[in-house]
Formats: sequence, structure tokens, C-alpha cells
Amino acid sequence: MNKLNSKNNNAINRRNFLKVGVAGAAIGAISIPAKGREKLVEKVNKNVGPNLIKVHDEFPYEINSTFKRHSSMDLLFSGALFGTHPEDTDILNSGHRFIENNQKHDNSKKGWDQLGAAINAGGWALHHAVSANACFSQAGQGILKWEQLSEAEGKQGSHSSKDWVSDEKYKFRDKQEASNAIKRAARLFGADLIGITKRDKRWDYTDFFDGNLMLQGKRDEAVYGWEKFPFEPKSVIVLAFEEDYECIAAAPTHLGGAAVGEGYTRMTKVAYQLSVMLKQLGYMAVPASNDVGMSVPYAIAAGLGEGSRMGTLVTYKYGPRVRLAKVYTNLDFVEYDKPIEFGVMDFCKNCKRCADACPGKAISFDTEPTFEPPYDNAWYNSTGIKKYYMDARKCIKVWGDFGSDCGSCVAACPYNKPDFWHHRLVDKITKLMPGPVHDFMREMDIAFGYGDVDNPEKVDKFFDASNRSYDGQ
Amino acid sequence: MVFTGIEILFFTLGVMVTLIIISLIRYNKKYKFSALSWALLGIGSFLLVFCLAWSVSSVLEGVPRAASMGLMVFGIPAILLVLTGRRTVLKNQLKND
Repeated sequence: MNKLNSKNNNAINRRNFLKVGVAGAAIGAISIPAKGREKLVEKVNKNVGPNLIKVHDEFPYEINSTFKRHSSMDLLFSGALFGTHPEDTDILNSGHRFIENNQKHDNSKKGWDQLGAAINAGGWALHHAVSANACFSQAGQGILKWEQLSEAEGKQGSHSSKDWVSDEKYKFRDKQEASNAIKRAARLFGADLIGITKRDKRWDYTDFFDGNLMLQGKRDEAVYGWEKFPFEPKSVIVLAFEEDYECIAAAPTHLGGAAVGEGYTRMTKVAYQLSVMLKQLGYMAVPASNDVGMSVPYAIAAGLGEGSRMGTLVTYKYGPRVRLAKVYTNLDFVEYDKPIEFGVMDFCKNCKRCADACPGKAISFDTEPTFEPPYDNAWYNSTGIKKYYMDARKCIKVWGDFGSDCGSCVAACPYNKPDFWHHRLVDKITKLMPGPVHDFMREMDIAFGYGDVDNPEKVDKFFDASNRSYDGQ
Repeated sequence: MVFTGIEILFFTLGVMVTLIIISLIRYNKKYKFSALSWALLGIGSFLLVFCLAWSVSSVLEGVPRAASMGLMVFGIPAILLVLTGRRTVLKNQLKND
């Protein structure tokens, strides 16, 4: 129940109203005495709440004995852009076409024109400037560095950045205070959702590589392991960043890519800022983008959302329209979050809208999740986790064709909606209903006009200036 | 913009709900509603308010098709329920007279 009440406990806003107490609020409006009302709302929360958002003590998906950690060299981008699997020319070709086409635009196609490409470039600009290749899972890039200067070392350099580990260790009164302070700071820096979980080696890559050396063919020199990591991480702070709804709705176009790039830019910025804050409290911290470990299982463990058919995290508030960053730290005096379940994986069994929308047909149509990928010649990483596997080989092929991030699956997902009360209400009703109703909900989602992809009207809508004001009034 | 669309919507909904409750209580005093009339008028009024909330929210988020569908899926049943409720009230009235 703390989970339900913790986010916005300062007011009964529309979200809480819908989430925990339609009945309580309605009866409250008919003026039941305050004490009785509180008891009633508490009772409704107790009975209805766990049915809406279930909190797990452990990682919520089954893992069998075939599960193995994998190297960052097995990641799709590592193969496609750095040739970590040179025998796989298919993947390499897709990667090369992606880089080549990413430089192009087509003024005859809405969203793929020079304007779209320019917005895309702007979205990515800061990320590429300060942490280039972190998006391709390269560790220790730019400001996402592993370096942990001591206070004495730090003060010899630039005093103003304060990117060093303070000699004085700040003592929090209790774990909850530590957790609250970290989350509040992360929100200040620009994160939209924040969860904290224990470091779990299962989700960390077994080793890393230097992309430049790899491209020069110096494979042996390029690869390094955890011995280079500056400390033994105890906790991982997972940060989620909302991507612009209208940009993602315009997928697949350069505008969709711009939303992704803008997300990466904020990931880099906030993760770095949070790492400096932790260092100034006397703890070691490494900010990470897609590197060091897998973001999705960490985000699930940190209670930010559920897994999904398309393999991305689906959050309660923004659906799959988020990007994820992490900060590894040796601070363990902190209250950990628990995984939550609000019906996504159940809904995915019947929905399959992402699989329908995928231009590369890379997403599984299987009804039930499996421990192994159902494809031949697929590109995937971890097996042994009961989930839906997507074929990254087909996915990157489409990226190569487009020269931009695709995002069609995210745009089509029924959980991808603007943060309006009626969508949250539908989510709740869906969670409480059995499977056959999910089919109906999917059809209604289509009938109501949500989630169609590759629609040029969405590009017009992004640029439409009506009902917006940019002038401060 | 002094108020956002959603703020105006929820304020208007509050006024509407108040007026509906007052009207139901006043007409109940005059016509003495049966349980069936209460159920039909109550659910119908709720659906009507919900329909308005849904459709205006859909327009505000820029999905006019969802607004039209909302009017059809929630609005038509709402009107049918309210009209049937009114009919049962008037029938009862005729019987009592």
C-alpha cells in the first residue's frame, strides 16, 4: 500500500483519485464524517489496491537453469557497429546502412525531410557531444566515466565540477531518508521516474570492450572485464525519462528518432549529475547509459514497470515511452524498491499490436512467453528468462533501411498514451478484467483511433501550433 | 491562458454533478421515484457526465476520433437510460394519478 500512496501523497489529484479511491472519493463527496471516510478509503485501498498494482518481493519473471550472463560484445549494436561478431555480415551490413542512411533526408516524405533530420540531430546532439557511443552500450564514455578521483586529486584539477569522492561520508538518519533524498535530487536534475534496487550480477555484462580498438582489429586489447570497474557496486539507481508523446506517435520518422535522442541526452545529463551528488556525499558512483548492465531488468527490479512483448519496459505512468539510465554506487544504506505488476504481461498475451505494427516483423506473435526465442537465426542475448523474445536481427535491418530509430512498436502499444485520467482508468479496468476482455480492449483501442503508425498526419500534429503557446502567457 | 482545458473541464463537471444531484432530489420530491427510476436516472446521469469528461479529454489530447467514439459508446446509452428513466417516472405518475 505504501507503493500506492507514496508518489503523490500531498493531494488527492486525478491520478490518486482514480488509482486508489473512486468509491472512497465518491462517498466522501456525499459528506460522510471525515473519520469514517478515511476508514472507508483505507478499506477500499486495502481491498482494491493489491488487485491493481501487485508488489513482488523477488524478480517477478521465472528464470531457469539455462540462464547465462552475457558479454557487452553480444549486444546488437556491438555486432552491427563495432564488428564484435565479424562472421555475421548480415548484422554488419544493417549497421553500416544505418550509419549511412542516418546522414540522409528525403524532402518528399513528411518527417523524413531536412526539418525532421535537423530536429533529430538536435535531439541527439548533447548525448553525442558528452557521451558518444554510450547509446551503443560502450562503457565509460565521456562524462559517463568510471573515474573516481579522491578529494585531494579532484581539488588539483577543476574545482568547479566537484567530480570527486568526498573524504567526508554523509550519514543518513535511516534508509528511507537516503532513498527519499536520492529520488528528490534525481527529480530535480530531470528524471521522471526513479527506483533503487540491489546490484544484481545477473543483469550486468560479463565484460566490456573499447569500440575504437575493436574497429582497429585489436580485439585482444579491446576487451576488458570487471577488474577495471573502480569499486564493488552495491546498489543501482534506475532513472526513467519520458519521451515526447507526439514525437513518438510520428514513428517511424526522424521525429521519432529525435524523441529517443532527446531521452538519451537527458539520461546522460541526469545520471552524471546524480553520480557527482553521490560522490560529494562520500560514496563512489558510476553513471551508465545502456552500458555496464541491462537496463530493463534493473528497471523491473527497481519497481519502475513491467516487461512486455516488445522487450521494452512498460511503466505505469508513461507506458513504454521511456528511456532508462542507471547509476551504480557502493552506497547500500538505502531503502530498495520492489518490482510491481499492473497487468502488462497479461495484456500482452492477447494484444500483439506491437507485433502487428513492427515493419520488420521482429516481434513474436506467440501467445505465451517462453524461456527460449522462437525464431531460427535470430539475434538475442539472455535466454532462460520467461519472456517474449524479439529478433534483433530483423529489428536492426529495419533501422538500417530507415537510417533512424524505428519506434513503431512503442507508438502502437496501447499503454503508450498521454498522461490523461481516462487512459489510467482504462488501464485499471483492463487489469481487473480477464483475458477475453483484453481482446475487446485492443479492438476498442484501434476503434478509438490510438496507436496507428507510419501516419503522416502525426507529423502534422507534432508541428501544429494551435492550442499551444510559446510566449509565456 | 488563465486555466488549462482540463481544469475548466473538471470545474464544469463539478457544477454539472451538483446540478444533476439537486435536480434528481427535487424531482424525487415531486414525483416519488421508484427504485428502477433511480437506477436508470442515476446510471444514465453518471454515464452522461462520464461521456462529457471522456470526449472533452480526448479533444484536449488531440484525438478527435476518440471523442466521437466516446460520444457514441457512452453518450447514446446515457441518453437512452435517462429517457427510459424519465418514462418510468412519468408512467408511475400517471398510475398514481
